[in-house]
Amino acid sequence: MRKTLREPALVLTLVVVVGLLGFFIIYPQLRVVLVPGLAGYVEFVREQTWVKPLLHSLQITILSTTTAVTLGFVYAYAMVYSDMPWKRFFRLVGILPLLSPPFVVAASYILLFGPRGIISYRLLGQSPNVLGLGGLWGVQTIAFFPFAYQLIADVLSRSDPSLEQAARNLGAGTWEVFRTVTLPLSRPGLAAATLMTAIYVLEDFGNPALIGGQFTVLPTQAYGLISGFGDLAGAAAVSTMLTVLALLLYIGRMRLEGSRSYVTIAGRASAIPRPPVPRQVTWACFSVCLLLSLVLLLVYGVLLVSALVQAFPANFTFTLRHFDYVRTQALSLRNTLVYGGTAAIVCGLFTVLLGYLVQRREWTGRRVVDVVALLPAAIPGIFFGIGYASAFNQRWLDWLDRGALITISMIFWNIPIGYQAAVVGLQQIDRSIDEAAISLGASSLRSFRDILFPMLHSALLVGIVTTFVRAVTTLSVVIFLFTPGTTVATITIFQLINDFNWGGATAFTVAVIGMAVAVLVVIWVISGRRAAVQTMASG
Amino acid sequence: MACSNVAPASVATEHRALPTAHLRLDAVVKRFDAVTAVDHVTLAIPQGAFATLLGPSGCGKTTLLRLIAGFYEPDGGAMYLDNARIDHLPAHKRGTAMVFQDYALFPHMRVYENVAYGLRLARLPKGQIAQRVAETLQFVDLSDLVERWPKQLSGGQQQRVALARALVVRPKVLLLDEPLSNLDANLRERMRWELRALQQRLNITFLYVTHDQSEALAMSDWIAVMHQGRVEQWGTPGDIYYHPQTPFMAEFVGSANLQPAVVVQRSDHALTVRLSEHCFSVPVARPAGQLGDTVQLCIRPETLTMSDTASDHPGPPACIGLVGTIARQAFLGHVMRYWVQINGTEWIVDHPDPGAARQQHHGPVTVWLNPARIHIIWPAAYLSVEQPEYEEMED
Repeated sequence: MRKTLREPALVLTLVVVVGLLGFFIIYPQLRVVLVPGLAGYVEFVREQTWVKPLLHSLQITILSTTTAVTLGFVYAYAMVYSDMPWKRFFRLVGILPLLSPPFVVAASYILLFGPRGIISYRLLGQSPNVLGLGGLWGVQTIAFFPFAYQLIADVLSRSDPSLEQAARNLGAGTWEVFRTVTLPLSRPGLAAATLMTAIYVLEDFGNPALIGGQFTVLPTQAYGLISGFGDLAGAAAVSTMLTVLALLLYIGRMRLEGSRSYVTIAGRASAIPRPPVPRQVTWACFSVCLLLSLVLLLVYGVLLVSALVQAFPANFTFTLRHFDYVRTQALSLRNTLVYGGTAAIVCGLFTVLLGYLVQRREWTGRRVVDVVALLPAAIPGIFFGIGYASAFNQRWLDWLDRGALITISMIFWNIPIGYQAAVVGLQQIDRSIDEAAISLGASSLRSFRDILFPMLHSALLVGIVTTFVRAVTTLSVVIFLFTPGTTVATITIFQLINDFNWGGATAFTVAVIGMAVAVLVVIWVISGRRAAVQTMASG
Repeated sequence: MACSNVAPASVATEHRALPTAHLRLDAVVKRFDAVTAVDHVTLAIPQGAFATLLGPSGCGKTTLLRLIAGFYEPDGGAMYLDNARIDHLPAHKRGTAMVFQDYALFPHMRVYENVAYGLRLARLPKGQIAQRVAETLQFVDLSDLVERWPKQLSGGQQQRVALARALVVRPKVLLLDEPLSNLDANLRERMRWELRALQQRLNITFLYVTHDQSEALAMSDWIAVMHQGRVEQWGTPGDIYYHPQTPFMAEFVGSANLQPAVVVQRSDHALTVRLSEHCFSVPVARPAGQLGDTVQLCIRPETLTMSDTASDHPGPPACIGLVGTIARQAFLGHVMRYWVQINGTEWIVDHPDPGAARQQHHGPVTVWLNPARIHIIWPAAYLSVEQPEYEEMED
């Protein structure tokens, strides 16, 4: 600490960063928790309106998480372990759902299986009621298994091939290697991935809002209390309950991640390949992946088709008229791009600096700041949104552009990802690198700027890309913050669906996904050029 | 190894003749939780000296170096460089450039930018930077590699870039943290001489950390041997090798036979001791202790000679013959090392130039002990008597 105090610029930076975290993460959340007051909580508990949503939330979280993780695991195992064909294709399809708001799966589900769905009505002549538990379970399974796949693939790819080769060398077969080496080593990571998926499911607002029907869960209950009854206190109490659940899952996840020390963290590609998987297993993997990616393509294909025809599924005449909505609602698309893009860049830079301050410098309270920086990962979007609404929708802040407020909420809600990427990146850079700069006369901040920051560009990229994608696809964070002038694409889609304007909604969804893909391609090209320089540097 | 008969007292004399200290540490302490990594270390290093911190891993030598660099905050004591106190300065204002074990070259900068970095921080004009970088790269023989990226260099070349990068800023003292330990054996040996020559040419104070005793002995003007956070002994390579003050010192630097012996007689410049049934006189500069004390005889393996049987060999003059049997032996290249059982204890005997030896020793042998080549290690209680130079350096 004394050492830090000797550099005033560093101290000033610290104060500003900690102040921002306190004001934009801690303060709004405290507001929500405190809004109901003691009497409010007592009444809330007595009224018991929360019992049903709570039970529903627990039920659907357990169901959807189980199925999503199972499918995600199979997909991940196939991608990491087998040498099946078409891996690039499967990887690409697996990314698609991350680039769109999860609730478009619900929309697609209605188009496929709803009362006038193409499969249910046109093919089978049924007009089922799809609202409720069953539909929601299916939809969340499809919507979140790609997330589970990403998390699990990450865990599996970190297990050390040399250990697996050693087991093979000692006489273990494919299945035995998996059972006795791979699985025990990655068990904590797999459990952590499961809990993270459970948090996504628990916090999901869009899907239950669209097809939950009478099956109210905590996020939709909170939304309903505010939009239907203007009951901010009740909504705050419900979402506090939701947040407590998410926090419990998150704490469990952190404990598991902490015990993962024996899995190679560096992610350095080992020189030796993984032991080969038998051919039957490879083909089984291929079949499952093919089936799952066809389902995903069906989900998104239906949206595309719906966007391009007169009236899906009754009239399949080609038209571009639905894209008129994209033109008339261009403001919301533009807002999404501006807010999401700004948030991504600011969040990326801020988290790299934050990672540096916490991982590299020593000062009292850095452990606390570390927890605060990771906290938003456990905060449900609906809670975060209510917090910002109640903390910053104030008269004294009227001068502040609401668009800026939305941008700020996107920045601070997404801090954990970029921050973790920065910390992991820094852990891989030996301290002697920045000490070398310091011993040559660079101040702490100068060594950060000249040496560490350029070396952290991949962590920065992770922060920027994920923040952008999450900012563009979030519904729950912004649903209490937007105004007519500052509406964003997810809100527009949500409203169009609620108006049963399927053509408009799907056209808009296509436009959003197209925009996200375009931005990612641009980032990829720019960073690709940087990567080329870096490759030269690494000879 | 020339200074065979330098008595411990002369160490203190040499100290008085030193120029004023350039880098001075005064009772420096560093704790990590319960562990005291650096325990009241006091040292004075003269301007232009090649000083080495030598010790086994975990002895606190690197911690001490990092304290001087400012990467750690000391828990006590003071540090002075050029007569100015530095321990309250941030690391980047101390003028203590450092060369790291893994070189720590900036991977995103070419050789030129790596070396120029410190000068850019000092805001030197471009032309001057270019000139000094070129000059320094020439010094370390790297002029034609300026455009390379660090990853394109061999270990030895990276090492030189790291050295050039630190030297170019003209530090008041250059700190080197085991800079040769990642090189292969031959290159390491060559770099020793290059480093030493460079240091003498530039007349910069070097503080060098290593666990390799031969490296320390070969390069240094002064060596501080560290053990459990303390400086166990401070002196010239000759002092360190021939006059170890503790059993740890004797066994850490080189190999040693340590044999307990009882003091039976004391004169002004000699001590008569009894080792089993043998009594003999050992020359000592300033005898301490009392009759009946047990001291340790430190006998280097290369000072012993060996012959096959006691009966038909007269032995070297004034030597004591000890009869034993060879337990095992190892061919080390420049010597043959024997482990000889004598009265139940094992002695190490080095036989030089094994290639020239007519016969292999086996069976009963006589080990010849030259009293003039024995060094006495006093019990810990007398250590302060034998270490006047510690008090010298505290002012």
